[in-house]
Amino acid sequence: MLTIAMGNLFAVSVKWQKEMFPSVEIDTSQPPLVFKCQLYDLTGVPPERQKIMVKGGLLKNMSLSVTNNIFFGQGQKLMMMGTADEIVKAPEKGPVFMEDLPEEEQAAAVGHSAGLFNLGNTCYMNSTLQCLHSVPELKSALLKYPHSERSNDLDQSSHLLTCATRDLFNELDRNVKPVAPMQFWMVLRKKYPQFGQLHNNTFMQQDAEECWTQLMYTLSQSLKSPDSRENPETVKELFSTDLISRVHCAESGEESTETESVYSLKCHISHEVNHLHEGLKHGLKSELEKVSPSLGRSAIYLKESRINDLPRYLTIQFVRFFWKRESNQKAKILRKVDYPLELDIYDLCSDDLRKKLESPRRILRDEEGKKLGLKSSDKSTVSKDNDVKMLDTEGSSGSGESSTATSKEGIPSDKQEHLTGIYDLIAVLTHKGRSADSGHYVAWVKQESGKWIEYDDDNPIPQREEDITKLSGGGDWHMAYICMYKARTLSM
Amino acid sequence: MLYLPGPDDMLVLDIAYMIYLKFEEFPSALRIALFLDNMQYVKQVFTSCDGLLRKKQFCYILARHGVTFELDDEIVTDDDDREALQEIINNTKLSEGYLTLARDIEVMEPKSPEDIYKAHLLDGRASAGANVDSARQNLAATFVNAFVNAGFGQDKLMTVPSETSSGGTTGSWLFKNKEHGKASAAASLGMILLWDVDSGLAQIDKYFHSNDNHVIAGALLGVGIVNCGIKNECDPAMALLADYISKEDSTTRIGAIMGLGLAYAGSQNEQIRGNLSPILGDGKAPLDVIAFTAISLGLIYVGSCNEEVAQAIIFALMDRSDSELGDPLTRLLPLGLGLLYLGKQESVEATAEVSKTFNEKIRKYCDMTLLSCAYAGTGNVLKVQHLLGHCAQHLEKGETHQGPAVLGIAMVAMAEELGLEMAIRSLEHLLQYGEQNIRRAVPLALGLLCISNPKVNVMDTLSRLSHDSDSDVAMAATISLGLIGAGTNNARIAGMLRNLSSYYYKEASLLFCVRIAQGLVHLGKGLLTLAPYHSERLLLSPTALAGIITLLHACLDMKSIILGKYHYVLYFLVLAMQPRMLMTVDENLKPLSVPVRVGQAVDVVGQAGRPKSITGFQTHSTPVLLAAGDRAELATEKYIPLSPILEGFVILKENPEYRED
Repeated sequence: MLTIAMGNLFAVSVKWQKEMFPSVEIDTSQPPLVFKCQLYDLTGVPPERQKIMVKGGLLKNMSLSVTNNIFFGQGQKLMMMGTADEIVKAPEKGPVFMEDLPEEEQAAAVGHSAGLFNLGNTCYMNSTLQCLHSVPELKSALLKYPHSERSNDLDQSSHLLTCATRDLFNELDRNVKPVAPMQFWMVLRKKYPQFGQLHNNTFMQQDAEECWTQLMYTLSQSLKSPDSRENPETVKELFSTDLISRVHCAESGEESTETESVYSLKCHISHEVNHLHEGLKHGLKSELEKVSPSLGRSAIYLKESRINDLPRYLTIQFVRFFWKRESNQKAKILRKVDYPLELDIYDLCSDDLRKKLESPRRILRDEEGKKLGLKSSDKSTVSKDNDVKMLDTEGSSGSGESSTATSKEGIPSDKQEHLTGIYDLIAVLTHKGRSADSGHYVAWVKQESGKWIEYDDDNPIPQREEDITKLSGGGDWHMAYICMYKARTLSM
Repeated sequence: MLYLPGPDDMLVLDIAYMIYLKFEEFPSALRIALFLDNMQYVKQVFTSCDGLLRKKQFCYILARHGVTFELDDEIVTDDDDREALQEIINNTKLSEGYLTLARDIEVMEPKSPEDIYKAHLLDGRASAGANVDSARQNLAATFVNAFVNAGFGQDKLMTVPSETSSGGTTGSWLFKNKEHGKASAAASLGMILLWDVDSGLAQIDKYFHSNDNHVIAGALLGVGIVNCGIKNECDPAMALLADYISKEDSTTRIGAIMGLGLAYAGSQNEQIRGNLSPILGDGKAPLDVIAFTAISLGLIYVGSCNEEVAQAIIFALMDRSDSELGDPLTRLLPLGLGLLYLGKQESVEATAEVSKTFNEKIRKYCDMTLLSCAYAGTGNVLKVQHLLGHCAQHLEKGETHQGPAVLGIAMVAMAEELGLEMAIRSLEHLLQYGEQNIRRAVPLALGLLCISNPKVNVMDTLSRLSHDSDSDVAMAATISLGLIGAGTNNARIAGMLRNLSSYYYKEASLLFCVRIAQGLVHLGKGLLTLAPYHSERLLLSPTALAGIITLLHACLDMKSIILGKYHYVLYFLVLAMQPRMLMTVDENLKPLSVPVRVGQAVDVVGQAGRPKSITGFQTHSTPVLLAAGDRAELATEKYIPLSPILEGFVILKENPEYRED
């Protein structure tokens, strides 16, 4: 090609993106910058951002006529690449990747804490620990527990067990990988030798409920702060339910009341019980035989209990195991007993407590009604419903009166959170198998994110909420043994 | 004809070609010419035929096959006509046609990776802990996004509507990837703008000015991807990439080298050879640069038997030190060599002899690779047996050559349906009593045999293997599930993968593979195929096959290549991506909607009367999608197709004898 010799001026066509500039004059005697400025006028792309391509070559900033192996001819097609777009810059602060995080932060990112290794039939212990681990207040109380010194009224083994629980909870929060609860397991056996029972040289399976109760008892003893000004009895406040019972003898007409506080409500299972509520009602009624002072002999007394004070965390135990003398083991009742995700225990409460609960409940209901998009006009009907209900339950006292009563006497002023008597399910401890000393225990715990995790020893498995209520028994699948509910509170 | 022993088979094809030519069945003659890979015959078809419209149809066939073919004065005398024809061969309008199809099917709306994962269908686990970015998961999302939105020009991560583009949003996803991940992310823009050279280059341009080498590497690779299968007179890919192949930074170099390989696959471009060959002999070049150079040269000279390139790769192999030969990337060198002889059968023998002098470590690996490439797509039973023989040995020294041997079985046997079924059975046996290294390759071989053709029995086998206790087998099976379902939107595979994603939610590597597979299943939102066979399974596109087997060889050592920092090898699949469409165009090449019957193709050979060639058909109007094993026929007499096989672009001309009823 001898185009250079023939002259310096050519008309070339330039393609830029989807546009075509059919005849752009190019003067090969001028430096390429001139041509680029021409294109700048046409496209608005600054010359330094322009890349001009001619048959597999790039137009360099040298003189056009000697540009390596590129010759221009009339009507030559060029292609220009380049935009006036802003150049991408790396953000000041790059994102943090999970892979780079230390393990404890990864745990937070995963959204659930670690599992616990089974140390040989210790699933009852693991599942108990996982359930209790889900109570943040307990964790913070444990954190406050002093490291070294113990109060005088506490024995050494209880102190060690409390420390071990604290350390284990910490470890669970820090790790993504499963944790081996060695220390805890040793201390637990020391404190409660029954868990160290051996059978054929291996540790025996134990009743999770027993483990739960004992651990709870130890913690309630050890977590009493020496200075009673701040949270006198954390565990008691968190978990214990006050019951007021009326003991009545049909024969003699004697009647007395007694109060007690328990760490768990029992759900008795009989042929009539199909639902947790019925079981609880059943559990609050009992018959006992004792000497009647008026009759001078033993008589049947009927004991009817009602709840007088509610805890933050309500523990409910399904009484699924009973001692079967023939087979000499704890046998299991497989009956299906449904339990709800949201439990209302209003009608198990004593009249005093009901009065206290009345106003927070109404407010809560109103708020929920609003959330569901009920209009203000509906609100009146809601409150009317309330009124009717209240009349039913409380006899003649009106709603206005009860609410004033509440504000006057009911709740101490320093308490901002009001209980409502409504509870949400947060943990389920299930058992699978035919007797308490065999089978497998698993904990199902709701995380702060609202997701459910099944802690099967060292293996946490995410689950759906629908599947949690399917653990109600009636087959050989996991069935609920202990349920833990968290109070729905209202801050006023 | 496929069952004849050589050299009779070639003779038969020769005669078939003559007959077709004599009776002016030009499209069929062209197909035979392409089958024989005889460019002289191709030219002859062009010169024997004088209708411009028919020549245009030939060009569409050539374009689909992916051959580089320069028209000269002898073929078409008129300059304008020649330009129009060349434009078709250059695939310039492919993007346009593909987008027309997408608009017709109403799938233009961009999809995000979450739309593909469908985590809401799973129990809580999949979405657990979304508050911290995981570099691996983001990388997976990058690939899924690229595969799903391939060619659509818009997506929800990399491209943003131009009004709001202030560099912020588009940059932000890019920088949500870590180090080498940014290369794949920048390159994914190329995939999204696949085939659309004009806007593709404009959008990638901004990355060229980055000061991050990974981003530049990605931009270079992206340019290669955009230009994959497209030829342009200005050769923008060459102009842009050529300068970078000798840069210091090896990531940038690999980006440019791989980009050239993708953009010029099958072109046998002398100039690029001149640029790339010296790298192979460069003693200072790092191994990864050399490995990718060998692959790129293999792709550019695929099936050419080019002596010079072969020599260069052979010398590069001989120069490797003992430790380098043990590197997982070294496997790409023999593969590059093998690609030169893809489907060329006996022509490989001289090179195969030379390979016997190689270091013991690589000798057998090279032998297997060369053999399997040379007989790829021939269905040669003796070679299958030979390869099976190698797999039957129980090795003790940890040799690696059985992996390519297993892949080789699939490459050779994939030629026709019957041999394919037999190979699937043989692979099942290998699973039963093969060593671990064989078991790891079997899923990949199955993936190749049924690529974009999800056969239920293979799906079940792979589903079983995806739960294998050996994680390499499980990963290979997962990727293969993606391959067999590639571009089909197959609901069953999608369900399987969803379950796998929850099964492996804690295992980052396997989850990555699951995500990639999910992206593949929804490749191009179900409009694309990876099948290298076309024209009713007669013709094998060499570049497409080369792209697939490069990826499969890389998958033989998943942990160090795809899960390491060379994940961009996944982009080799772009070579095999083609719209699985039937697009009918009128005489001005404008889309024309006509009713067609689409149904299961049936074999009509040897049937009496006027046999139906499809069964269980439905009538649609074009453009339509064709699944594996589908065949289309016109449901109207109004037009006459210029190609007897209705696939890809087909020109319709009006039937002069047609009369409205």
